[in-house]
Amino acid sequence: MSSNAMGANGVTRRVFVGMLREEWRLHARLFGGARFGAFPLFVAAVAAGATWLLASTGTAIPAIVAGLHALVFVFGLHTGTIGFVGRDAIRNLLGDVTLLVFTSRTLPASPRRLVAIFLAKDAVYYAGLFLAPLSVAVAAVAVVTGTDFLPRLPLLWLSVTGTFVLGVLVTFALVGLGGRRSTAAALAVGGLLLAAWWSSGFDPTSLTPYGFYRTPGLATALAGFLPIPVLAVLGMAVYDPTDRRPSRTSEARFAAWRDRLRDDDGLLTKSLLDVARSSGGLWKVVFSGGVLFAVTAFLVGVVEQLTGVSPSTGVSFGALLGLTAFTSYNWLTQFDSPDSYRRLPLPTAAVFRAKFRAFLLLGLPTALGYYALAAAWLGGPPAELAAGGLLAVGVLLYLFGLTVALAGFEPNEFLFDTVLFAAFAGAVSLGLVPVLIVGFVLAPLGPALLAGVVGWGAVLGVAGLLLYRRSVPKWTARYRRG
Amino acid sequence: MAAIETEGVGKTYGDLVALDDLTLSVERGELFGLLGPNGAGKSTTIAVLTGQLLPDAGRVSVLDTDPTTEPVETRRRVGVLPEQESPPSFFTPREYFDFVGTVRGLDSEILARRVDHWVDRLGFDEKLDTLCTDLSRGQQQKVMITAAFLHEPELVFIDEPLANLDPIVQERVRRLLAEYVEAGNTVFLSTHHIEVAEAICTRVGIVNEGRLIAERDPTDLDAEESLLDVFMANVGGEAGDWSDDGHASPVGGAHSD
Repeated sequence: MSSNAMGANGVTRRVFVGMLREEWRLHARLFGGARFGAFPLFVAAVAAGATWLLASTGTAIPAIVAGLHALVFVFGLHTGTIGFVGRDAIRNLLGDVTLLVFTSRTLPASPRRLVAIFLAKDAVYYAGLFLAPLSVAVAAVAVVTGTDFLPRLPLLWLSVTGTFVLGVLVTFALVGLGGRRSTAAALAVGGLLLAAWWSSGFDPTSLTPYGFYRTPGLATALAGFLPIPVLAVLGMAVYDPTDRRPSRTSEARFAAWRDRLRDDDGLLTKSLLDVARSSGGLWKVVFSGGVLFAVTAFLVGVVEQLTGVSPSTGVSFGALLGLTAFTSYNWLTQFDSPDSYRRLPLPTAAVFRAKFRAFLLLGLPTALGYYALAAAWLGGPPAELAAGGLLAVGVLLYLFGLTVALAGFEPNEFLFDTVLFAAFAGAVSLGLVPVLIVGFVLAPLGPALLAGVVGWGAVLGVAGLLLYRRSVPKWTARYRRG
Repeated sequence: MAAIETEGVGKTYGDLVALDDLTLSVERGELFGLLGPNGAGKSTTIAVLTGQLLPDAGRVSVLDTDPTTEPVETRRRVGVLPEQESPPSFFTPREYFDFVGTVRGLDSEILARRVDHWVDRLGFDEKLDTLCTDLSRGQQQKVMITAAFLHEPELVFIDEPLANLDPIVQERVRRLLAEYVEAGNTVFLSTHHIEVAEAICTRVGIVNEGRLIAERDPTDLDAEESLLDVFMANVGGEAGDWSDDGHASPVGGAHSD
């Protein structure tokens, strides 16, 4: 089937529908059909709850909408990463699966056409399942709290959908441009360039659909949505459908790393080598942290702009950079599974212990490195910065323990399991919302609030360690039950 | 003393009965083949015998250890080659053998000697420094076979031993298993390839719907009664329905249990 034939006889439409059905079945099978069917409702409920909480603590609806765009953009970047770094990533994440997007190897279908349909499918699927409930929830709360938002709902939905697609395409284009090994490095460099541009006074959001949302009009629509076709064409042009790559060799480094890390059973070394050798190397951990850093900086800037109150650098960055725990643990568990260790004479507890040590070596410096960058860039009272640093460590440990407790070795998959995700979101909110309110609304902080922040950080850290300790026997038993 | 003994072992996954009152015994020095159709319970049997899965009922003994209560000790003594499992994607075979040697506490000189031996025997020395993700399925299978034998265990469990191997290497592995058993060791292999079981096993157990339903010594079979006949008589269907050459699927193909 040539590209023309695909279009001419309606095959494109059938492949598109097939891909939609495939995406749904993939998620439904992973997370149980009925439970996954409730996911949009859950998204709407969580978004409404969070919006209401933020609105009732003084955050303006425009600031919430700005934050929503930032989060959706990050989600798009992440979705693009999974979809386009190739079959290896899909297999590492989901096991040995064959998706329609890969069928050009066995069927006479144009790989570029398949990828284009895949992109369109992602846009439609997530626009309906995820972005529509988010938009409706924000609009509903805005109306309830007295803002005449309903006329802006279609605009919001269009804008967040465009923002999501933009995120997917940024990753898609950079994956093609950067090549497999340097993708994350290319993304990091791109992010830094954008940050430099931003700091020189240019507002990069004017080149996104958010710019159009802010000031609807023909010019802003053109400026805001133009990057989407540009990136799509660029991505298609540099996309390598053959996925050819030379056989890669490497010097034996395992023994040297193991000795340097004093790693008796080699499990810590294996985890770190897996991350370092896979696409993007250790840069991908840095990049993931960088995205969260940029989002935090954006939110702090927006809140300051809209309310005139400067959020506490220490507390806001300390709390939000703690969220890097999730991405760091995700990278550390992306390249293996419990099954891969079960035939070796190793207790499951040893594997979890190694993951924890790897997390401390990789996740902690990433979060604290960006925290130091924020402190150097934005400054703040020393006591607040110290409290924020301690809070970051507490949040990191808490989210690590929570993720292990709920998801074991598969932190990524539970993002679409409604019940687990609800538990995760609830527990994260419980840990973060109090300090976020303190950091964003009650700054500058007096001694009592600072003591409270430090104390809360300690509580979260201890809770995380306890969750981790208690979850190891639980997962050991569950893996053995099969 | 038997190398493996099970009595009344049961295992269910929700409503699915994987093992149902499975009772078997494998003596030391045997090359025992567990033969059965897809979904018969072969892989589950190996997972239970190596302590990877807990049975719901029954008693299990492997090399005088109890895999249900001391799974790590059981796996310390045995080698396991699971079906369709690949070595870590971003390790080279040399690094993977270092990793396995570290986990199993092997001296580095002994490990290097054994790696040389197996690499030479299976013929993949030029691939030792290639990332495993870039190896072919057959080459990955060679790496997994080597890893299972590195600590020279008394007993090895192998799920579909010839999966993805070319005919020359298949023959080498057959010979290797025979020599390994001649040296007094035990092999427990699971397969749904009748000709593999017939050619290399000293005893074959036929399993269906989680139960051991027949046992045969292939050398006792003759033109009147082939292993295929025994299999079909117990599992159901006519021998001719199976295939002209007695294959459930192409030789060496990897299939899940």
